[in-house]
Amino acid sequence: MTQRPKPVPVVNPWARPFWDAAMEDRLTFQKCKDCGANIFYPRIACTECFSDNLDWVNASGKGTIYSYTVVENNSPTAFLGDCPYVVAIVRLDEGPQMLTNIINCDPYSIQCDMPVKVVFEQLNEEFKLPKFQPI
Amino acid sequence: MSNLKGKVAFVGIGEVPTGRHADKAAIYHAIKSAKMAIRDAGINKDEIDYVLPTASLYSPAFNTEMVTCRVVEELGLKNCKKNVQIFSGGSSSSNALLIASTLINQGMARYVLFVHTDRLGTGVNLQQGIDLFSTAGISAEWEVPFGQHYSSIAALATTRYQYETGCTDEEMSAVCVSNRKWAELNPNAFFRKPLTIEEVMSSKMLSTPLRAKQSNMLFDGGAAFVLTSAERARDVADRPVYLLGEGGVVTHFVYSQEKDITRYGWAEAGKTAFEQAGLTPKDIDVAEIYDSYPVYQIIGLEELGFCERGEAGKLFLNGDTWPGGKLPCTTNGGMLSQGHTGAGGAVALMVEAVRQLMGKAGERQVKDARFAVETATGGTYMDSQVTILGTEIP
Ligand SMILES: [Zn+2]
Repeated sequence: MTQRPKPVPVVNPWARPFWDAAMEDRLTFQKCKDCGANIFYPRIACTECFSDNLDWVNASGKGTIYSYTVVENNSPTAFLGDCPYVVAIVRLDEGPQMLTNIINCDPYSIQCDMPVKVVFEQLNEEFKLPKFQPI
Repeated sequence: MSNLKGKVAFVGIGEVPTGRHADKAAIYHAIKSAKMAIRDAGINKDEIDYVLPTASLYSPAFNTEMVTCRVVEELGLKNCKKNVQIFSGGSSSSNALLIASTLINQGMARYVLFVHTDRLGTGVNLQQGIDLFSTAGISAEWEVPFGQHYSSIAALATTRYQYETGCTDEEMSAVCVSNRKWAELNPNAFFRKPLTIEEVMSSKMLSTPLRAKQSNMLFDGGAAFVLTSAERARDVADRPVYLLGEGGVVTHFVYSQEKDITRYGWAEAGKTAFEQAGLTPKDIDVAEIYDSYPVYQIIGLEELGFCERGEAGKLFLNGDTWPGGKLPCTTNGGMLSQGHTGAGGAVALMVEAVRQLMGKAGERQVKDARFAVETATGGTYMDSQVTILGTEIP
């Protein structure tokens, strides 16, 4: 059975700087210049004060695993060949949460609240995905 | 909402068996359920003036027919003023109930028919179903590229919930056993054979720690209900079921943005609903708690205040939630045993709550049931909707 191609991010135009930075191995989020809120995923306006005055900043790339699962069976078709793979929610040290995969480790060694750091994985010529590995 | 308390009532319900009905078109389940609900209400079909169909997911083309008044024409409703689709995924029935109740209370509508049908059992195959539910309501930019789907979402909640509370795999599996005990007594349920904790815990691992028998399966089905004002309800129905309280909280769109995947908005939604009704969990005779996966049923019971956090699993294990137990829970068998029909999971729970209160639940009737709570949530558990119903107005 030939594997279906992986889904690529359907990019909202205002999020383009995030994906461009990812191609340079930089994890970024938005920071509100008016109220200081750290924002991820990229928004059109600040989710706290509604300001349009948003800046892009580099994240430390460090965080902890809020929750995780090892997908063993019945994944979406494009991921059947990857099983077992780890889906996780990571809380960045700066506050924002994001969905990711935990890679470069034994999937069954992962625990909640484990510290992790970002590592970029090439998806295709256009995209690198921010994934994480245990520190 | 306090001015809606006791002003609107269910007067009729209808439901077809959940299953794989390859020989039946989706419209069949809608018409069959709607006809049953109208008959149950004991009214003339032409008294229906509003029809609120919810969405069918298996086919956009068929859903367009639901939007463009097919139900009205198929039923031959002669005095229908509006046909408006109300859809918020799994919470559609709760939101339709509130909107319909407002219209009725304002004197805009007299008899409102809500109807659901879908063919997720035979209209799509298993892998299409998984793929549909790996994109429906899951962010195409921030989650789909990482292989997120509904099993992994439920697994993320289960992992964190067990980590924080110490709830065991055995307690989690006991939810499936409890729901099955009810489904054994429900002719409309798909899974009716007895189920043991051992069978659940030895079933195929999907996404750790979630196993196949802790996962709902998709089927064909349909259900409907008829609402009217409390005054008219007392004329037409032997035992009208009143809307007493309602609460809702929207918490997220992208699942990974949810701040607490072990709680969601249930506590606040429940508090609002119970305060409006003038009741507490102690007054509730039947708790129809949205399942889809065991962790959500456990979280629902706890956050509504039926027990302490981390204790709900024990209620499912020790039989409190089973037939004959002191807290009958999800008495149709839920999506885990009756089967998941898309937006219909909570339609079935709402219909079941009404059925229990009307005293029409047959073998699984909870004796002297007067008050019920029902919960619903849509998308990736994006909202927490709580409804309290009763045969009396406290
Ligand atoms: Zn701001």
